[in-house]
Amino acid sequence: MRRGPAIAAALACALFAGCSGVMDRPPGRLAQSLPSDPPTLNPVLATDTTSGEINNYVYESLLDRDNATLELKPRLAESWEISPDHLSYTFRLRRGVRWHDGAPFTADDVAYTFERIMDPKVDAASLRNYFRDVKRVDKLGDHAVRVVYSEPYFKALEIIGGATILPRHVFDDGQDFNSHPANRMPIGTGPFRFEEWKTGRVIKLVRNEEYWGEKPDLSGFTFEIIPDQNIRFEMLKKGASDVEGLRPIQWARQTGGDKFLRRFDKRRYWMPNYSYIGWNTQNPLFSDRRVRHAMTMLTNRTQILEKILLGQGEIVASGFYKFGPQYDPSIEPLPYDPAAARRLLAEAGWADHDGDGIIDKDGLPFRFTLLAAAGSSFARSLALILREDLARVGIDMSIRQLEWATMLKLLTERSFEATQLAWSLPITQDPYQLWHSSQRDRGSNFIGFSDPRVDEIVERARREFDEAKRDAMYREFQRIVHEEQPYTFLFINPSLVAVSKRFGNVVDYRLGLDPREWVVEPWERLIQW
Amino acid sequence: MLKYIAKRLLLMIPTLVGIALITFAVVHLAPGDPASLKAQTATEMLASEGMTREIVESTRALYGLDKPLHVQFLLWLKRIATLDFGDSYRDHRPVIAKIGEALPITLTLNILTILIIYLISIPIGAYSALRPRGWVDRASAVLFMALYSLPSFWVAMMLIVLLAGGDYLNIFPITGIISQGADALPWHGWAMNVAWHLVLPVACLTYGGFAFMSRFTRASMLDVIRQDYIRTARAKGLPEWRVAVHHALRNALIPLLTLMGTLLPALLGGSVIIEQIFSIPGMGRLGFESVLARDYPVIMAIATISAFLTLVSIFLSDIMYAVVDPRITFGKRQI
Repeated sequence: MRRGPAIAAALACALFAGCSGVMDRPPGRLAQSLPSDPPTLNPVLATDTTSGEINNYVYESLLDRDNATLELKPRLAESWEISPDHLSYTFRLRRGVRWHDGAPFTADDVAYTFERIMDPKVDAASLRNYFRDVKRVDKLGDHAVRVVYSEPYFKALEIIGGATILPRHVFDDGQDFNSHPANRMPIGTGPFRFEEWKTGRVIKLVRNEEYWGEKPDLSGFTFEIIPDQNIRFEMLKKGASDVEGLRPIQWARQTGGDKFLRRFDKRRYWMPNYSYIGWNTQNPLFSDRRVRHAMTMLTNRTQILEKILLGQGEIVASGFYKFGPQYDPSIEPLPYDPAAARRLLAEAGWADHDGDGIIDKDGLPFRFTLLAAAGSSFARSLALILREDLARVGIDMSIRQLEWATMLKLLTERSFEATQLAWSLPITQDPYQLWHSSQRDRGSNFIGFSDPRVDEIVERARREFDEAKRDAMYREFQRIVHEEQPYTFLFINPSLVAVSKRFGNVVDYRLGLDPREWVVEPWERLIQW
Repeated sequence: MLKYIAKRLLLMIPTLVGIALITFAVVHLAPGDPASLKAQTATEMLASEGMTREIVESTRALYGLDKPLHVQFLLWLKRIATLDFGDSYRDHRPVIAKIGEALPITLTLNILTILIIYLISIPIGAYSALRPRGWVDRASAVLFMALYSLPSFWVAMMLIVLLAGGDYLNIFPITGIISQGADALPWHGWAMNVAWHLVLPVACLTYGGFAFMSRFTRASMLDVIRQDYIRTARAKGLPEWRVAVHHALRNALIPLLTLMGTLLPALLGGSVIIEQIFSIPGMGRLGFESVLARDYPVIMAIATISAFLTLVSIFLSDIMYAVVDPRITFGKRQI
C-alpha cells in the first residue's frame, strides 16, 4: 500500500486549513457592510449616504437631533439664539473640545467651514444650494459665531446647525480643497476617530478616548465594502458582519429559522420616504385631473403591497412623512375601483371609438410607457400588475427600465409619460423643490405640476416659524395635491435590519438605530474572514 | 524588418488618437452627465430632492464640461501627451492612482486564471489529439462544454452558498483577496490567506476557459501530427512520447504563442461580474462603477490604455509570427 502520498495530502490539507487566514475578530468592534466605496469622507463634498454614515461618527455638527423626540439639541454648540426677525443665528460654542489631532476647536473652524460651503470652487453645489440665503458669517470671539440670513427661512436653524464642521488648521494649508488628502483621512471631533481606508475594501474607525462627551462602549467600526446585496446577506449569516439591512423577502421568508434568530434580532423602523408613480401633467394623456384620478383608482395598492413587498410598507396618501406631525391622516387614499375609474375616463372623453380595444380621444390612443430605474425589481413587478389592470379598461402600458444616469436625463428633459420613483426626505420637509411651479423647468418638479394656490402656500410656509400654523398650511397643501393626483402615492417602506445579539441597549428609534449607545455583551469566539 | 517595425510604431500614434476620439465621442454622447448625477444621488430607486439646474450647471463649469466638445477633447489630448490622465470626478483622486490600485489585483487574478487554464487544457487537448475519440477526448469535450455553458454569476452564487455561506459549509471567505489585518501574519500565513481568498473567484474565472483552449490545442495538434516530419520522426524509431512532446506539441504551440500576444489587453480588463460578487476592487469594478457614474476621466484613461495595449499586442503577435514561422517575412525577400 502506498501511504506516502495520502499522508502528504493530509498534511497539506491540515497546513492549508491551519493557515487559511481565519483570524479572531475583536469583540468590541462592530462589523458592517457598505454597498459602495464612498467617494470622499469630506462631509462638505459628499453627496452619498455611505459617507454620511461614516462621517457622522467622525465629525460633528453644531446641533444634533434627539433620537427620541427628534428635537434639535446642542452638540458642538452649547446654546443658540435666534433674532426676532429670524435673520441672525448666534451660536455659543462648547469649550474644551479638541480635534482628533489635539488642536482646539474654535469659532474659526465654524467660519471656515461655512466659507468653504459657499465657495464656488468647492465641488459642493448641492449643499451650497441650501446656503444660498446665508449673507455672512461673523466670528464673535473664539467661542461664538453669528450666521446672518438675507431672508427668513424656517429650516435655517436646521441647515446651519446640521452642517458638519471641518478643522480649519487641517484644510487651510494651501492645498486644493476638493482633492485635499484629509478628504480621505478625516480629522474630526466626534466619538470615533478615523483609522484606515483601503480603497474599495475596508474603512475602519476606532473609539476616540479623548472625546469630550459620553464615550461609546463600542471600541470601533469595520466597514467592509460589498456591492452585492446577496453577498452582504451571506456575510451576515456566516457571522462576518453584525448589522445588515434586509429586503422584504429576506425579512419574511429567509430569516425565520432558529439558527438565525438565535444570533440576530430583527428590527424595523420608518425613515421618511415614499414611493410613487409620477404622471407627467404636461403630457396630453395625463393633463386631465380625472384621468389621473382614474389611474390611481386602477392601481391596486393593497395587492401590490401584499404581493411584492410582502406586507412590508404602508399606503400613503401624501408626500409628507407618514409618522410625522405634518402628515394629514384625514386624507383617505383613493380606493382601488376600476368601475369608478372607467366612469372618470369616459367623462374625460376617453372611449374606444375605433374598436381596436384601446381607448382613445381625438384620435390619440391611450398608450404610454412607465419609466423606471434598471435596478428596481419593485418597479418591474408593479408594472406587471398595473399593466394587466390597465389593459382591462383599454389602456396599453409598457415599462422601460433604464440605468440611472440615462433615466435622470429623460427626467431632466421631461421626455417621459409616467415614472415610478421614490423620494427620501429630510425630517422637516419643505415641498418647494418638488412642488413649486418655478421648479418645473429647473428643479425636481419634473412632472410639471403647477397650481397657484400651492405656490402661495409653499412660499408662505417657508417664512412661517410657528410650527402649528405651518403644519395647518401643509394640510391644505396635501388636500390640493390629493385632489389633483399628479402622483399616485404608493407606500412608505420601513427599513428592515438584522442586528447581532451580542449588542445590548439596541433601541429602534423612528429614524434608525444609534450604535453610539450600544453596549457589547460577552460573546463566543468571533471569526474574521 | 527594422523599417517595417518603425513604420508600424509610427502608425500607432494616429490610430491611438483616432480611437481616443471615437471613445471620447461615445462617452460624451451617452445619455446622462456626471454633474446631474452628482446633484442627484440614488441608491437603486431612492432619490433625494436636491436637483436644480443651477447645481448641475455650476458642477459642469467646475469640471470644464461647459466648454465645447472639441475644446474638451483637445484639452484632454494636451494633458494626455504629458501622461496626465486627470482627476476622477467621483472622488477627485488622480486617475492613475485609482488604476494603480485596481490593476495589481486584476493582474493577479488574470495571470493565475490564464496559468491554470493553460496548465489544464493544453495537456488534455494534446492528449485528446493523440487519442482522438478516446475516452479522455470524449469526456473532456462533454465536461468542458458543460462548464462553458454555466453562467459565472450562477456558479459564483452556488459556490458561495454551498461552501462559504452560513447555511451549509463555511470554509471559504467570500469577499476581497485578503483578510483585514492579514499583513501582520508571517509570510507563509499571509500567502495562505491570499490563496484561500483566491480559490473561489479564480475557480469562477477559469472553468469557462477550458473548452476553448483544449479544443484549440487539440485541433492544432491534429494538424501537426499529419505532417511529414512527424512521420519521419516516427520512422526514425523515436519513442512515441518523444514524437508527441518534442516534435508535435512544440510545433502545435506556435499558434498559441501568438495568441498570447492578444492576452495583453485582456489582462488589464477585469471581470465585472466576478469582481462585483466577490467584492474585489479590481479593474472590472472600477470600469463598471466609472461608467455608471459617468466618470469621464477614468473611462477615457481605461479605454486609452487598453487601446494602446491592444495595438502593442497586435504588433507583437505580428512580429512573433515572423520570428517563429520562417515562411513569414515583412521585409523584401532576397531572391
